[in-house]
Amino acid sequence: MISCRNLTRRFGEFTAVDRLDLEVDPGAICAFLGPNGAGKSTTVNMMTGLLAPTSGEVRVCGLDPAAAGLELKRRIGVLPEDLGLFDDLTVEEHLLLTGDIYGLARAETRARTAQLLHALSLEHGRHTFAAACSHGMRKKTAFAMALLPNPQALFLDEPFEAVDPVTAKIMRDLLQSVARHGVTVFLTSHILSMVERIATRIVMIRKGAVVWNSAVSELPQSLEDHYFDLVETPVVEELEWLGPPRS
Amino acid sequence: MARSAAILKALATAYRRDWTALQSLTGNNFFLLTLLLLQRAGVFVYLIMGLIVLFPLSTDPLRKVPPSRLALWPLTRREHWLLRLASPWLNPVTWLLAAGAAWSAGRTVSLGLWTAVAAVCAAAFALSHLPAPGRTPMWRRVPGIPGPLDQLVRKNLREILSTLDFYCAAILSASVLAWRIFGPALPGEALMAMTVITVGALSSYAQCLFGLDGEGGLARYRLLPVRGWQLLLAKDIAFLLALLPLSLPLAPLAAIAGALMALAAGHAPAVHHPREQTRWRFSMGGALGNGIVQMIALAMAISTVFSMSILFFVPIAAIWAASLWWYGRELERSL
Repeated sequence: MISCRNLTRRFGEFTAVDRLDLEVDPGAICAFLGPNGAGKSTTVNMMTGLLAPTSGEVRVCGLDPAAAGLELKRRIGVLPEDLGLFDDLTVEEHLLLTGDIYGLARAETRARTAQLLHALSLEHGRHTFAAACSHGMRKKTAFAMALLPNPQALFLDEPFEAVDPVTAKIMRDLLQSVARHGVTVFLTSHILSMVERIATRIVMIRKGAVVWNSAVSELPQSLEDHYFDLVETPVVEELEWLGPPRS
Repeated sequence: MARSAAILKALATAYRRDWTALQSLTGNNFFLLTLLLLQRAGVFVYLIMGLIVLFPLSTDPLRKVPPSRLALWPLTRREHWLLRLASPWLNPVTWLLAAGAAWSAGRTVSLGLWTAVAAVCAAAFALSHLPAPGRTPMWRRVPGIPGPLDQLVRKNLREILSTLDFYCAAILSASVLAWRIFGPALPGEALMAMTVITVGALSSYAQCLFGLDGEGGLARYRLLPVRGWQLLLAKDIAFLLALLPLSLPLAPLAAIAGALMALAAGHAPAVHHPREQTRWRFSMGGALGNGIVQMIALAMAISTVFSMSILFFVPIAAIWAASLWWYGRELERSL
């Protein structure tokens, strides 16, 4: 479903993604992990046709994002890093827009919109403009927009950040459900406990290069420990000025 | 005291940035061309534009601090009062009003004008303290249109209604309506001239069609499976829908022809040189050359349809359609 061969993206002298090789099967939930600036969003942008690779090859749903951009956009759902919402549309209008643009019948769009608003606890804020929504509501709206056209592949950039635990659980269940129906899910996240529960495949990236790629069952230790070992070891510094004021 | 001073300093910085309103006026091609062509005869237009700019500038500077933040800061009652009394003087409008009051004392005409300006500023200051009426402001309640571009058109219409260009054009249109109801018959030439001025007042917006979409909006455009010309069409339909009610007291068909030419000339700067816009300010168009071309094109379109034949509407619509198709392709490349 998703295939990358020697995928590379450079920005001047800086190599954001370095010769990435990847295969993700239909129905898999692939978690793409790494620290900030590791190249995760750049990879997602190349897979979704928002950014052209410097070299290498990427195929999604059998299509080359650079050559068949419009057809690919019809087949995938994306939750982008900046959510991609319009300040002047309400939560509900965003979903209606998605249905209209993807060619769904108005009745079908309304039915799916009602179900998604209910499932994601967005009903009370359906008439709120995106500019006035909390970050969590904005994220849920963008997530619902990605699901509404029933895509063949989902690309989600940090879907669980800034959402409440109940909604995170609902999103997790929805993703596992669509994966069971053969939809490929490719997500980035920093919430390792959530990733460990949902993902079937783990790919770790550091400074643009893949440092781990396996099924979750093949991890030699807990995901968090393995991440700290391979990607980044946390260094905690003592801040001496924190604590009760001294006289 | 030090806490109040720190807050006032931060507010002053925020307010200085907010004075892009005057910059927006100088970047508005309608203002510049009125200044060049009408010169002293354009006083009426400058007065309307000046009052419209003053309105959003007269809001209370203290409203820039989120109420929750203001409530959380460890400020004494005295410091709150100090902020309340000192903050209006961060706004240059307050100083202008004070200077105007001193200057107009004893001058009857100037006093009247000063009172009118002060009333506009006071109304804006007071309105900034009122809670929003209901959940959706009036200017955001716009009807949809049938078709797949429904929500995009609605969004674009809301964007136009959050610029001052629309309200300037609305005042000009309302002036003509009032004249036609209460005044003597309006000569054909005057009707045509007012049609050019009213469409011209909106024309700068046609050069910055994507200016209010923000990074999030542009990212969504890249993800939507639609062609570039469809995105431009949604923008153009919204522009025409905003103009339509304003054109009714004028020459409607000629106004629409002028708007189509303004859009055709505006597609190039809107696609190739997109400029970020600020809400409740005048639109800032591209280079002055673009504005001149646009104003000449819309004036010619209006005069030919109004004075010669409505058949000229057909080639004007064809030029607009060709521009839509061409710059739609360009938009797909640049997004």
